[in-house]
Amino acid sequence: MLSGEQKLVERCLQGDDAAWEAVVTSHGRRIFNLSYRYTNQKEEAEDLTQEILIRIYQNLKSYRPEAGSFQGWVLRIARNLIIDQYRKNRRYPQTSGGEELETMNLADHKMPNPQRAAEQGEASQFLQGGLQSLSPELKEAVILRDLEGMSYTDISDLLNVPEGTVKSRINRGRLELAKVLLKRRGAKAL
Amino acid sequence: MDCSKIEPWLSPYMDSSLSADETRQVELHLKSCRQCAELLEEMQSASALCRSFPTLELEPDFLEKILLRTSGRPRTRSFRERIQKYFLRPLLTPRFAAGAVLATLFLALCINLMMPTLSNAVSFLSPPKMLRLMDSGAQRLYSQGLKVYNKTNELQEEFNFLKNDTLNKMRFFMEKVQVPVEGRKEKKEPVREKSGTPEEQRSHIWLWKA
Repeated sequence: MLSGEQKLVERCLQGDDAAWEAVVTSHGRRIFNLSYRYTNQKEEAEDLTQEILIRIYQNLKSYRPEAGSFQGWVLRIARNLIIDQYRKNRRYPQTSGGEELETMNLADHKMPNPQRAAEQGEASQFLQGGLQSLSPELKEAVILRDLEGMSYTDISDLLNVPEGTVKSRINRGRLELAKVLLKRRGAKAL
Repeated sequence: MDCSKIEPWLSPYMDSSLSADETRQVELHLKSCRQCAELLEEMQSASALCRSFPTLELEPDFLEKILLRTSGRPRTRSFRERIQKYFLRPLLTPRFAAGAVLATLFLALCINLMMPTLSNAVSFLSPPKMLRLMDSGAQRLYSQGLKVYNKTNELQEEFNFLKNDTLNKMRFFMEKVQVPVEGRKEKKEPVREKSGTPEEQRSHIWLWKA
């Protein structure tokens, strides 16, 4: 018996454009947010999202339901491309952005008070800055656990590492992040 | 207890995944170590901030760009979007606004020229005028009804006259003309013997004809 997502993939493979649109709509936002949390730059996140979705479209035939959920497969492709991009950026560093968060489309995050929205944007920016200072492994673990809300098992499947390693990375990542944020807060207060 | 031993336990402590003994040790340490307590507080606040991190939305144009680059089909627009695209957006263009203003002016001018003035129209709606109008209307209706009634009676009389006249004429004609009835033997008139002179006979025929 095929699940809803598997049926959707089947329809995509049969050339149903509406099904593909449903896939893009349902997974595109998550991929975009994940990309943004890794890159901290809107344009780069958009480029990455586009690249990831094109890759997914081209490789839909290679998806095997018995190997895991479609979402897991999508995230694996996304993660691999994000890591590739990160490596490229490390080789050819670009000027860092990150000031755009407040001006971006925060449509589903309902903040009726503009002052509160600005504060929230500032706090998010502060956190994003702290995340960028972590090592890629720790940053990835914290993003997947605390921002994406994934379970240890899912993270373990996605990263293809034992669950113990995932827990250890998350613990170290949180600790590092807290230390960085404390330091930044102290420097800001001075 | 040493801070370096407690630090790795802080994250599991947040997740409540430590054993009872470990939890007790952490809590004891936190009471005595301000630095670790601050660190835990920061970790908790960062975690809360992560949970409330805004979810960014994909812009419709960006979504369309991806769809065109993959399946080649533009995205499906919602009813609201279609209304906006095909109705509201054209309405809000300066060209349409100018046209609408001109059309309104033209219409107002036409109404002004063709219709009675507003004050007349309002005075026409006053109660006495309305009652008078209703009264004259009712009278006109009644007189029309009477005319129709008289006309009907006249027509009825004409019809009766014509009917009676026709029947009388027919009756008269029937009396004059004897229509032979099938199956009845006609009585033969006795043949008169010819007598007398030809003059007498001729005069007899003439008399008979007369």
